[in-house]
Amino acid sequence: MIGQALWYLSRATGVVSIVLLTVVAMLGVITSGRRRPVGEQATIVMAMHRWLSLGMAAFLVTHIVTAIADGYVSIGWLSTVLPFTSGYETVWVGFGTLAVDILLAVLVTSLLRERLSRRAWRAVHWASYLLWPLAIIHGLVLSTSNEPLLQWATILCSAAFGGTVLWRLVTRHHDRDRRTAIAAQEWS
Amino acid sequence: MNAPLITLLEESGLTGHGGAAFSTATKVRAAHEHGAALIVNACDGELGAAKDGWVVAHHLEELLAGARLLAPGPRPRIRYAAHRGSAAEATLRGAGLDVLEVPARYVSSEETSLVSLANGGLARPMTKRAPFVQGGRDSGGRRVPATVVLNAETVWRVAQVTDRGAGWFRSHGTPAEPGPRLVAVGGAVGRHVVVEAESGTSFHDLFAAAGGVHQGVSTVLVGGLGGGFLQAGEAAARTWSGADLAPLGLPLGPGVVTAVDPTPRLVDVVAEQLRWAAGESAGQCGPCMFGLPALAEAWSAYARGERSARTAIERRIALLPDRGACRFPDGVARYAASALRVLDLTAATRPRTGTTR
Repeated sequence: MIGQALWYLSRATGVVSIVLLTVVAMLGVITSGRRRPVGEQATIVMAMHRWLSLGMAAFLVTHIVTAIADGYVSIGWLSTVLPFTSGYETVWVGFGTLAVDILLAVLVTSLLRERLSRRAWRAVHWASYLLWPLAIIHGLVLSTSNEPLLQWATILCSAAFGGTVLWRLVTRHHDRDRRTAIAAQEWS
Repeated sequence: MNAPLITLLEESGLTGHGGAAFSTATKVRAAHEHGAALIVNACDGELGAAKDGWVVAHHLEELLAGARLLAPGPRPRIRYAAHRGSAAEATLRGAGLDVLEVPARYVSSEETSLVSLANGGLARPMTKRAPFVQGGRDSGGRRVPATVVLNAETVWRVAQVTDRGAGWFRSHGTPAEPGPRLVAVGGAVGRHVVVEAESGTSFHDLFAAAGGVHQGVSTVLVGGLGGGFLQAGEAAARTWSGADLAPLGLPLGPGVVTAVDPTPRLVDVVAEQLRWAAGESAGQCGPCMFGLPALAEAWSAYARGERSARTAIERRIALLPDRGACRFPDGVARYAASALRVLDLTAATRPRTGTTR
């Protein structure tokens, strides 16, 4: 009975983590896009990006702890940080572990942002674009494949994030256009 | 550090002949303190400039001697910067020197552009948080080793001062601007020449050395695109010196004097130059990449006779200075402002004929 509760809790917090991660990532993409929000809007978007990411961390910790504590499948505590060591679904759990590792790096560098060079922080933050698909694949393959509701939540997340990234890639801005055009001239 | 050389340079009062006129002694002292690599700038980057090429063509041995004095040691790091495809580039290569091939663009021969290019970057200006003679970082955070850039004429003068002494050097020019200086005289003159002159040489003598100006020349340009215009009458009453040009808001610049071709209207000449200048922006700083095209556009409208464009021009000129990584927008603003002044003077003295100016 307890085991079943843990199992459901793990799946529920997992899918909430995916949704929150997607929202956080979308807010990040919006902030770094060319038509980024300005003024008060920017403050709101940035605050949501930061606080939702910490909120997500709480769900994620629950997700991981319950998945391992459940005992129905053997994953092992080592798998929280070391990828591809899980007895159960070695590859797909490993994807989740990799995502957690990257997330830890992004989290720690962001907390230490004032003490790091902008370049270093930025380089690690870029890894979020790897983190997100890893987490989505982990979610899509493992736990939601036989639950239409959860599966659709994951698919919708994919569509939303994909759309935001596409928006970032295709939006034009006269500043960037001119910089790009001039940079293409002979400068070396 | 070579203390006797720096003392000698200090006594001579030699300043950089690339246009900024910064104390060479101070720069060399900093270069030696930080073990900076040397770049000799022989680009002649200013419009109408020709003196660096002249030094390379006629005084290469002394130029090399000057560079060796400035970058001593068994393995001196000296590079010679020249515009791609220029005669100076060919000569320097022919002499087996380490040539930094610079794209033939206006802002690419600027000091920090050369430092960037020499260190594997693009030939575009960098923000100077501190002088790069100390080494530093570019805006992307990459490390830039200590590098000093000296104009080719300046380096040649260092060799001369070492040879002939500070007293000889100070016997030329004015107390405020001592030393002999090269001036490229061009435009609507008999022949384009590089004149061995000095601060205080009269414009009359400069033009005489070039075989005189063409009939009808009414305007003179000093210092190219980074300088500005004065009326031929004003030039006739003045010498080529900082003291005489400062009241007109003009710098002495890198030794360029041009007799402006009288056939096209001055307002059209300036329109053409401003359009060209807008295309020379390195596309890094907003005031430059957007401000210069805006100024050029407003000026073109003004040249077409739209009086209302005048306000836009004046607003742009006021907005351009002190905002970029380099002084390119400042120079263009000064150029445009001086053109307005000369156009106004000419309009005020010309009898009304009913045509637009």
